[in-house]
Amino acid sequence: MPEVDLLLPSIVFAPFLAAGLALGVGRFFGKRTGFLMVLAAAASFLQCLQLAVGTVGAPVTFVHEWIPGLRVALSFRADPYGLFFALLISGIGTLVGIYALGYMPALAPRRLGQFCAALLAFVGAMLGVGLADDLILLFVFWEATSVTSFILIGFWYEQEEACKGAWTALQVTALGGMVMLAGFILVGLTCGTYSLHQLTQSRDLQARLLESHAFLPALLLILAGALTKSAQWPFHFWLPRAMVAPTPVSTYLHAATMVKAGVFLLGRMLPLFGAAWLWTAVLVPIGLVTFLLGAYQALTATDLKAILARSTVSTLGLFTAIYGLATPEQDALGIFAHATYKGALFLIAGIVEHATHTRDIRRLGGLRRRMPVTFAVAVVAALSMAGVYPTLGFHAKEALYESLLHGPRLAGSAWQGAVIAVSVAANALIFAAAARFVSGVFLGAPSEHAAHAREAGPVLWGPPALLAGLALGMGLAAPTTERMVGALSSHPDAALHLSLAPAIGGPLLLSGATFCLGILFFRARGGLDALRRWRPAWLSTERTWDAAMAGVVGGATAFSSHWQSGSLRWYLSGTLMFTVGLSGLALWSGGLSLRDVVVRFEEMQWYGVALCAMLTASAVMVVRSRTRIGAALALTANGFLTSLLFVVYRSPDILLTQILIESVSTIFILLVLYFMPPFRVEGFSAMRKAFHVAISLAVGLCLFTFIMLSTSPTLREAHNLAADYLSRSLADAGGANAVNVIIVDFRAIDTNAEITVLMVVGLLVYGLLRSRRRSP
Amino acid sequence: MRGDSPILRTVARFAVPLTVWVSIVIFLQGHNLPGGGFIAGVMAAAAGAMYLLAFGVANAALIPWWKVPVVGLLISVLTGAGAFLMGRSYMDHDIWHFHLPIVGEYELPTATFFDLGVYLIVLGTLMTIFVEMAQEEGR
Repeated sequence: MPEVDLLLPSIVFAPFLAAGLALGVGRFFGKRTGFLMVLAAAASFLQCLQLAVGTVGAPVTFVHEWIPGLRVALSFRADPYGLFFALLISGIGTLVGIYALGYMPALAPRRLGQFCAALLAFVGAMLGVGLADDLILLFVFWEATSVTSFILIGFWYEQEEACKGAWTALQVTALGGMVMLAGFILVGLTCGTYSLHQLTQSRDLQARLLESHAFLPALLLILAGALTKSAQWPFHFWLPRAMVAPTPVSTYLHAATMVKAGVFLLGRMLPLFGAAWLWTAVLVPIGLVTFLLGAYQALTATDLKAILARSTVSTLGLFTAIYGLATPEQDALGIFAHATYKGALFLIAGIVEHATHTRDIRRLGGLRRRMPVTFAVAVVAALSMAGVYPTLGFHAKEALYESLLHGPRLAGSAWQGAVIAVSVAANALIFAAAARFVSGVFLGAPSEHAAHAREAGPVLWGPPALLAGLALGMGLAAPTTERMVGALSSHPDAALHLSLAPAIGGPLLLSGATFCLGILFFRARGGLDALRRWRPAWLSTERTWDAAMAGVVGGATAFSSHWQSGSLRWYLSGTLMFTVGLSGLALWSGGLSLRDVVVRFEEMQWYGVALCAMLTASAVMVVRSRTRIGAALALTANGFLTSLLFVVYRSPDILLTQILIESVSTIFILLVLYFMPPFRVEGFSAMRKAFHVAISLAVGLCLFTFIMLSTSPTLREAHNLAADYLSRSLADAGGANAVNVIIVDFRAIDTNAEITVLMVVGLLVYGLLRSRRRSP
Repeated sequence: MRGDSPILRTVARFAVPLTVWVSIVIFLQGHNLPGGGFIAGVMAAAAGAMYLLAFGVANAALIPWWKVPVVGLLISVLTGAGAFLMGRSYMDHDIWHFHLPIVGEYELPTATFFDLGVYLIVLGTLMTIFVEMAQEEGR
């Protein structure tokens, strides 16, 4: 069906178009720009839904040529897992859009337009990540999410914190993305295709990759991209810092979608790399460390959004470990469960902040009676986070324990006990953090901040209520959920059993242990908090990263302040050294030197000798002159004498050019003479003089060799460019003047670049001098 | 740069138009005889510099010189893009033949338009620098 063919790119690119629209017409629409955002996101959601319902079993693809020479294609493919991701992105995007209508304070229309545009562009980029089939295309969208999230995190750019948070996020995720690109290219070069579908389906390609030397670096590079995006230890620090973003953004980027892109990529790469022991050896330890560390930090954090951000990091660690263990059948369930409860809790944190003007959990409390609806929604979402029966979170946790007990990689291995112990402990910490969230904000005696709080409107509590309702409702409707997540998982054929009546067995036992431990942790949270003091400072990867970034900036500053000293002599020396070095290298690699020059002394004429003598004399005068104007005049004389040389060689075009250039540059020198610093000839150290002399000699020698070689008869007969141009000039280009034909026709693209440079120089001079004159 | 030398003014009254005329001739003959956009542009800029020295920077600055190279680049790039749009490679030039009533057969290479862009850029850039520098001095 042709209309389905275009559906995929339209899902991805429509949000970008809407973003442009929001930016362009935002100022005329005013507040209504927000509706545009919701409509665009909802349209994407409905289209994804149409695809999901209409094309079960036969994924829709769209392929269009992009860079055929590099085998890069503009290809999308709506396989179940990608579609699941796209549904999540567009669905939660719609809800967050509605919430943002009520949440974003009265912004200037321009700022609101910017916000909507950035959010919509982000939606489009994420949909692209979900649906792209080509690895390079995936990378492009991946980096687009980094850039748009940078804009969104730094939306309050007046605050220093926001700028810092946005910078850290961009540094970590964009660097990770670039590293990942290197990995993709390795895979593409080894396998000869960038198509994810082909790579994951073809056993031949996987075997070829596994046997090649590129396998190990490609694996590590791609993992670096995925782990930075998903804020895994040791890159976990950017996510809490990014919490300076407006709350709808935090919800959307840092709970529901962007951070899941890394996990999503792991799911995509599992068939390609999952067989290697290194895959497990890297992912499982990192995942478990993040799982435990994040959960601990979630329990001890005091900022509401930080609690949620840390627990998000923790859950992402869990997914990383699950993929590391190659038990992906539960991924759709786990990701969906997390997106619903964490999205709801983030939105509630925003509502609470709106009502009380604080996010510090120590200053909150007793909001139960003042905000009953929000309280109810928060309780349901927190139950799902804690994994209490019968919510979606419970089923996800059961599925996790099931796979830990009976998973193919782990069952019977020596590490099984440790992995299970860590998982139970981390889940118990998450349970305690969820309990703390609800009790700290809503229970207890009302604090002074809570005294004036009022219930929010339905625009604000509606979206979290819907998410929490999903978390509860889909937990209750277990058979439907089983079918749905079974169909949308990255490995749809893997069996996953959910039932409303939990089966008595190992997983349920572990859940019980989790609850008991969780209640214990919740009671002993003061003691756990004290543990933090024992951590040595050097363990903080955050500090290491900051130091590294400061080192980069410091190094760059030192380098450029040394190189860009502002001294014309130094610039000139640098340019000349580079030129001489390059041409010397060319001569050396061509095996040419002065020995190849053939000089025919019998061709020498008396006027040639006289001219050379005058040229030399004027050059000496330039150097020996005591005043600047003297040097300038001597230089002019040298130039005009050079033009006489072209008379000798009968080259009228170049002669004309030389004379004109000499006249104009003399005028120019006289114009700028006035601004020059005093002419200094004394006071240079011997070292510096020697340096200048050495450079001058090198330049002279180099140019001399080149000219002598190019006029040397032996070489002229071997490579006669001039004859070629002369013969083609009139015939091909309709011009008898070969010099001009070369400039405007044969080498027109070179000329094009040169005149562009010339124009830019002119505009720069204009701009610099004008701005200097305007600001005295 | 007030331009208060009567000798220079008297000479410039003849020399400036003459130089501009020569520069136009050199430009037009460039494809077959010595000349071309670059040299002609430099020559026109020399005429402009003479005008500046003779009649003062205030008069020379009446033309917004910085816009001239922008127009020039536009002409050059559009010439090149014309061939590109007709399915040939960028900067692929053509020769147009005309039958004019009096002149008869006339050949016009499209490279001439490209050369016109070069002329304008060279003239405009040099004059921008001259005028700005001279104004700097006048402060």
